Amino acid sequence: MNTRLFLPFLRSGTNRFFRTGPRLKITLLCGLGLAICLALFLLTHRSVSYFQSQSELGIILSMKIFQMAWITIFAMLIFSSMIASVSQLYLSRDNEIVVAAPIRLPELFRMRLFTTFFSTSWMMLIFSLPVFIAFGVVFDAGPLYIPLLVCVIPATALTACGLAVLFVIVLVYLFPARRTKDIIVYLTVCFGIFLYLIFRLMRPEDLVNPEKYGQFIEYMSAISNPAGFWLPASWTSDLLSSYLLDRRVDMLLVGLIMLTPAILVMFGELLMERLFIPGFSKSQESFGGTHRFREPGRTRSRLLWIFRKERIGFLRDSKEWSQFFMIGALVVVYLYNFKVLPLERTFGTAYVANLISFGNIGLSGFLSAALAARFVYPSIGGEGGAFYLIKTAPISEARFFFSKYLFYLIPFTLLSIVLVTVSNRFLQVDGPMWWISLFCAISICWTVVAMALGFGAIFADYHAEHKDASMGPGAILYFFCAIVYMLAVLVTGFAPAHRLVRSWFRHGGLPLSDALMIFAWGAMVIGLSASIAVLIGRRGIAALKAK
Amino acid sequence: MTEPILAVDQLTKRFDRLTAVDRIDITVAKGEIFGFLGPNGAGKTTTIKMIAGLLLPTSGRVRICGCDMAAEPLRCKELTGYIPDRPYLYEKLTGSEYLSFIASLYSAPGRKSHYQDAEQYLHLFDLWEWRNNLIESYSHGMRQKLIMSSIFMLDQPLIVVDEPMVGLDPKSARIVKELFKSKARAGTAIFLSTHSMEIAEELCHRISIIRDGALIAGGTLDSLKDLAADGVENLEDLFLQLTGSFELQDVVAALRNG
Repeated sequence: MNTRLFLPFLRSGTNRFFRTGPRLKITLLCGLGLAICLALFLLTHRSVSYFQSQSELGIILSMKIFQMAWITIFAMLIFSSMIASVSQLYLSRDNEIVVAAPIRLPELFRMRLFTTFFSTSWMMLIFSLPVFIAFGVVFDAGPLYIPLLVCVIPATALTACGLAVLFVIVLVYLFPARRTKDIIVYLTVCFGIFLYLIFRLMRPEDLVNPEKYGQFIEYMSAISNPAGFWLPASWTSDLLSSYLLDRRVDMLLVGLIMLTPAILVMFGELLMERLFIPGFSKSQESFGGTHRFREPGRTRSRLLWIFRKERIGFLRDSKEWSQFFMIGALVVVYLYNFKVLPLERTFGTAYVANLISFGNIGLSGFLSAALAARFVYPSIGGEGGAFYLIKTAPISEARFFFSKYLFYLIPFTLLSIVLVTVSNRFLQVDGPMWWISLFCAISICWTVVAMALGFGAIFADYHAEHKDASMGPGAILYFFCAIVYMLAVLVTGFAPAHRLVRSWFRHGGLPLSDALMIFAWGAMVIGLSASIAVLIGRRGIAALKAK
Repeated sequence: MTEPILAVDQLTKRFDRLTAVDRIDITVAKGEIFGFLGPNGAGKTTTIKMIAGLLLPTSGRVRICGCDMAAEPLRCKELTGYIPDRPYLYEKLTGSEYLSFIASLYSAPGRKSHYQDAEQYLHLFDLWEWRNNLIESYSHGMRQKLIMSSIFMLDQPLIVVDEPMVGLDPKSARIVKELFKSKARAGTAIFLSTHSMEIAEELCHRISIIRDGALIAGGTLDSLKDLAADGVENLEDLFLQLTGSFELQDVVAALRNG
C-alpha cells in the first residue's frame, strides 16, 4: 500500500506535538489522559462489581450494559464519521492539491478513510479501553481478553467509519447537492431518525421494569437476548461477553469482525472510483449560492453587531446546522428518559424523585459543558484569519471576550432552565429542590460557558481548517476542569440539600439551621463559580492580548 | 501541424441556471505563454479548475498532450502543474516536507524524485534557510514562492497558474517572470490567468479575454489592438474597452478633477 498521502497527516501530527508544543504541556496532557483512564477504570470496576455481586440477574444486567455500550458507541461513531467524512472527502482544502495530482482514487479513499477513522475514533479507542478492561478484571477474564480487545475495538470502529464513508459517497452522488449544506442536512436528518430509532428500540427503561413481562423467565430471556445479529457492534459485544463468561472464542465472530473492515475498504475503493469525482465536482458548485440577503439593520451598537456577527456566522455556516439536529435529538432523549422513569413502580417516594432531581443538576451541567465544548470553546479560534480585525479595531480584548460570553450565555441559560424545569415537572418535584436545582443549573451553566470561552482563548488555533479541528487537547483539559468544578458543587451541596429536603418533608417549612446551611453553601457556590469564571476569563483575555 | 499541449474544445459549465463558462475554445502550443484575462466573476477560475481536473465540465473537452481529461484523468494530471490563486498549504509541515510530499504525488515508482530539483528553486527564492521551518511561520510571499517551487520542480509540459504574482516582492516577481520565460523557451506551455495587464503584456505570446463566461477576444497583443477602437495605447485600455468598463475612464477623470 502506498502511504505517501499519509505524509501530511503523520508529519503534521508529529510536528504539532514534538516541534511546537512545550514538553511540559505534553506531559501534563498525557498525565491528564492517564488520570481520566484511571477514573474510568475505577468507576466501571465499581459499578460492574456491584452488578456482579447481585446474583445471576446482576451478571445478565451488566452484560446487557456491556452490549448497550457497544451499540451506542457504534451509533455515535457512524454519525460522527459521516459528518467528518463529508469534511474530509469533499470539503478539505487540500483536495485542490491531491485531486489535481495524478493520484488513483482508491489511494485517496484509503487516506480519507483512515484519517476520518483516526479523527473520530481516537478518543473512543483510548477511553473505551479502561472501561472494557474493568469488565475483564471483574469477570476474571482469560489471557486472550486483552489481545481480543486490542484487535476488535479498532476493527469495530473502522467498520463504523467505513459504513459511514460509503454511505456519504453514495449520498453525495445520488442527491444533486448543489451546496454543502444540502449534504449536511440530509446526513443530519438521517442521523436524527437513526438516533431516535436506536433509543426507541433499545428501550433502556424496560430493564428496570420486570413487571412489563408476563413471567420472570420472559424478562430474563428478553434481557439476555443478543441485540440484532445484523449489527457489527453486537458481534463484538457477543464475542467479548461469551469470552468473559465462558472463556470461549467464537471464531466465526472473530472472522466477521476482522474481515468486515477489509470488505468495506474494497467496496469503498470501487465506489470511490465510480462516484467520487461527480460528487466532488457537484459539491464545489455555487458555494455561497445565489441567494440574496436583505439589507442589514442600522444598529450602531458594537455589542449588538458582535451578537449579530456570531449569529450570522453560525446560521449561515451550513456545517453548523447539523448541530441543531443533534441538540434537538439530545434534548428529546434527555427529557424522554425522565418521562419514562418508572417512579411509582421502582422507587415510589417523592424523596427519591428529589434525589434524582439533585443528580439531574450534574446531568444538565454535563450537557451544558459538552455543548459549550462544541460551540463556545472553538468560537475564538473560529475567528481564524479574521481575528486581526478585532486586534486592529478600537475594541479591547476584554470587551470582545465579554460580548462573546454574553452572546452564548443567553441560549445556554435558556437550555439549562428548560432541561431542569421540564425534568423536574416529569419527576413531580417542587419545593426547595426545585429552586436548588434551578440555582445550581444556572450557576454551573454560567461558569462552564466562561470556562469554555477562557480555555478556548488560551488554546485558540486560528489556523485550524475546520472548527472541529480546533478541538484539541485544550478542549479535553477544559472538559476535565468543568467536571471537577461540577463535582465540587454537587459533593459540597449534597448534605445541605439532603437536610433541607428531609426537614421540608417533615415540617413543611425550613428550620433556621438548615436555611443557614443552604445559604452558606449557596454563597460558596456563587463565590466559587464567580472566582473560576473571572480567573479563567482573565487568563483568556491575557492570551488574546498576547496573540 | 504539431498537437497543442492544451486544447480546450467547446468547454461549458453550468451551475443551476447560471452559465459560468460558455463553449470556449482555447489552444496553447508548446513553448507558448497564454494569457487568460477577464473581470472578476467572468469564469476564469471555473475554466482553470476544469483544466486542472477539479471540476467536471457540463459539456466540451479538455485535452492535454492529446490525452482526454475525461478518459485519462491521471495521465492528464501527470502532465499538468496547477498553481491555484489561494493555494492551500499544510501549516504544520515544513517547506521541505511539503516539497517532498508534492514530489511523491507526481513521481512514478522507480523514477527519481523531483525533490532533488527543488533545491535550485529554494535557493533562487531565498527559501533555502527556511526550508526546515513550519509553513505556518512563512509570510504570504514565502508561501507563494514555495508553491511555485513545488510546481517548477515537477518540470511538466503544462503549467496552469491562477494569479501568479500576488504577494511577491519585486525581486521574486522578476525571478518568477524570468522562470516562466525560460520554461517557455524550454518547451513548457504556460496557461496564465491574471489581472495584471503589465504581466500579461510582458509575458504572454497570446491573450484571450473572457467576459460572462464567453471568450470575447483573442490573439496576439498587436492583433487585439487592431480590433479595438482608436486611442487604445496599452493592454489596460484594451481590456477596459473590451470588457465594457470604458466608462470607468470618465469616473477616473471626474475623480481627478476633484
